[in-house]
Amino acid sequence: MSQPVIHTRKLTKTFGKVCALDSLDLTVQPGEVYGFLGPNGAGKSTTIRILLGLIRATGGRVELFGADPWRKAGSLHGRLAYVPGDVALWPGLTGGQCLDVLGATHGGVDQKRRSDLIERFALDPAKRIRDYSKGNRQKVALVAALAAQADLLILDEPTSGLDPLMEQAFQQCVRERRQDGVTVLLSSHILAEVEALADRVSIIRRGRTVATGSLADLRRHTRTSVHAVTDREPENLDGAQGVAEWVSAPMDGRVDTTFTVDADHLDAMIGRLHAARIHTLTVTPPSLDALFLQAYGEALDARESDATLAEAGR
Amino acid sequence: MSARRRDANPRPRGLGTMVGVVWRTRYRSILVWVIALGTSMVGTAVAVAGLYDTPTKIHTYAQAVTSGRALEAINGHVEGIDSLGGVIQDEFGFLAAFLLPLLGIALVAGSTRREEESGRLETVLGGRIARHEPVLAALAVACVAILATSVLFAVGLVLAGVAVSGAILYSVALGALAFAFAGLAGLLAQLVLHARGVYTWSLITLAVAYLLRGVGDTTNTPVTWLSPLGWAEKTAPFGDQRWWVLAIPAVAGLVTGGAAVWLAARRDVGSALLRGGAGPVRATRFRRRPIGFAAWLHRPATGGWLGGGILLTAMLGSLARQFLGAMAGNPALARAMGVEDGRPLDGFVAATQLYLAIIAAGYVIQAVGTLRTEEAEGRLETRLGGTLSRVRWLAAHTAVVATGLVLIVAGSSLVLALSTAWSVGDTAEFGAAVTAGLAYLPAELVLAGLALGLFGWWPRGFGFAWAGYAVATFIALLGPGLKLAQWVLDLAPTTAIGNPPLGAVDVGNLAALAVVAAALVLLGFVAFRRRDIPRA
Repeated sequence: MSQPVIHTRKLTKTFGKVCALDSLDLTVQPGEVYGFLGPNGAGKSTTIRILLGLIRATGGRVELFGADPWRKAGSLHGRLAYVPGDVALWPGLTGGQCLDVLGATHGGVDQKRRSDLIERFALDPAKRIRDYSKGNRQKVALVAALAAQADLLILDEPTSGLDPLMEQAFQQCVRERRQDGVTVLLSSHILAEVEALADRVSIIRRGRTVATGSLADLRRHTRTSVHAVTDREPENLDGAQGVAEWVSAPMDGRVDTTFTVDADHLDAMIGRLHAARIHTLTVTPPSLDALFLQAYGEALDARESDATLAEAGR
Repeated sequence: MSARRRDANPRPRGLGTMVGVVWRTRYRSILVWVIALGTSMVGTAVAVAGLYDTPTKIHTYAQAVTSGRALEAINGHVEGIDSLGGVIQDEFGFLAAFLLPLLGIALVAGSTRREEESGRLETVLGGRIARHEPVLAALAVACVAILATSVLFAVGLVLAGVAVSGAILYSVALGALAFAFAGLAGLLAQLVLHARGVYTWSLITLAVAYLLRGVGDTTNTPVTWLSPLGWAEKTAPFGDQRWWVLAIPAVAGLVTGGAAVWLAARRDVGSALLRGGAGPVRATRFRRRPIGFAAWLHRPATGGWLGGGILLTAMLGSLARQFLGAMAGNPALARAMGVEDGRPLDGFVAATQLYLAIIAAGYVIQAVGTLRTEEAEGRLETRLGGTLSRVRWLAAHTAVVATGLVLIVAGSSLVLALSTAWSVGDTAEFGAAVTAGLAYLPAELVLAGLALGLFGWWPRGFGFAWAGYAVATFIALLGPGLKLAQWVLDLAPTTAIGNPPLGAVDVGNLAALAVVAAALVLLGFVAFRRRDIPRA
């Protein structure tokens, strides 16, 4: 049976009059790396705290491994490891002591992986937390979570403060964990990281899911840019269905054309370009960046975002 | 200040800018310090002037205080105590010995190493500020604050009717004391890596200074001159008026402050001479368990309060014979201590135990406050992200804090019993001194319950636990003397204990307090299990 690891339905949380989550839906399947994207204040950390049973949902359903995280927090936490967004550790403990104290509250610690990770992240376990830099404190929390024998990793903006080299090491570690069958919920606003790791993503904004699906799915809902140089003027392209931003001009005896097209009409457009004898052709797939900016930017106009993007998400 | 100019070769006016930064970021705590110190000093002066309004009364006071070395060890040796100023200096002696150095330490530590540790100093030094200017500015602002405090003192003393020259010399001597410690804190801020270290080492210096002054005064040796507290005392503002002694703290402050500025200009920002060394690579099995971790977390505070309790009881206990002598020679002093029925030793132990109860209650509130800090700084979230349940976490901490409380009360009571027995030369009071301490436990637990209840139910209102503590302390210490109404006295849980061993302990009251404490703790647990973490 394939029961989702994380499942929320119409999840709502209000703090007084402030609505932090507004019927958020989220489903994470076993074994996948799930990207959880959104601008600051979108409700990512609130969702994660509800999943951990630290705060209680105001409304809606939430299940972690099929159980209620508020009631079963202690036993559920035996199957997961968590890296909070703001890593807060005890200044008086050494890094090694911190790892052990954190490890004691995990389901189990793989000691071999622990020492391996300390090496890979170049961590000095004899140093006190108060003498660590911000990035090194982050590393302690990461090593503790990655060394845990867990079925689920919940990582809230895990690479803030890491240098690019360490970010590489982190991505490699997450891939290895996934190969071991571990599910990962990766909250982030670093697109490259999510793009490199995630199988599926959700983009949330103001406590609502604005887009969700596999990266390929999401790409299909954005536009592909096409740049073609053809011998003749392509026929029936300008103003055709699905085509926009059409610019076409003669150049050195040929015709230089750029336009964008949605995924459903790409095939037909390429056919028409072919009919006009293609000289050179560049097709740029939509980046997650564009999708992200589209989701955030257009969302400023709430009506439009709710109509198109939520629709696109389904 | 002149108008803004943009010269071709602008002389950097970093110091003025930096003074402005220090003032704008710190003016609240500076004002609180100056006003609180000024009013408490002036209040003491006025109260003393009201109480001792005739030369006869002053003479009686002077006789009582100088009848043994006991009070000199605590308040210092006051030259010219047979005057209003002398009485004020004696009454304020203990508080001034701690508050004025603390003024200097807090003002400087807060705007030097704390800023450097947080990284804010780096931001400032990115501007047109030279490396040595922040510490210089911190010292300058501290000097102005100290000067303002001294002026307030002097005015208050004169208004209370103290001779002008003595008032000025005394105020300046206290200001110079604060200045010496400000310089020391500035120097330490260059040497250690964390603000906590600045406080620790300055307070250790202060404790040594207090000890040296006490030893010098009781043995009548020049040891007193080794202590900054002794320098203030030796100016003898109400005796021989040795103005030249002021030069010693002035030079000490200038040398340490100058060294701080010199070092700040030459060392790397963010560096420190004394660094914490490497620590153990692994946590012990005990510390990985919730109870062991809680024990580690509360150990420094427990040790500190236990040390305070032992210091107080050892000091008072070993002076028991002198107190008895003073009380025998001065019925007024005996009455002030609540001893009227001819059992001075019981009265002495009862008064000491009340002080100890206040120390112990302060410990429990601070310890529960640590839990709130853990939550506010995000570490509670880290802690509960694993298999540890909320109830187990809170239970482990409650057990550790309760154990710490018993340790502080029993340990200090034992020291009181031993030192008193040693001082008076018999052990008749031994058992009574210990059981009196233990009898206060239910009252202390009520305050612990209040703190825990607030933490669980209304964490943002935790300040009310301290407010409750302040009210209870005020009523317990001053209520009987001020002859407050019985219902007001009953607001302090210590009132219900019955002032043992002088008064009788009502077992029913103890049980009732225990029930209240248990109910409050239960409320804290139930509410904590149900609330959001972190609670916004």
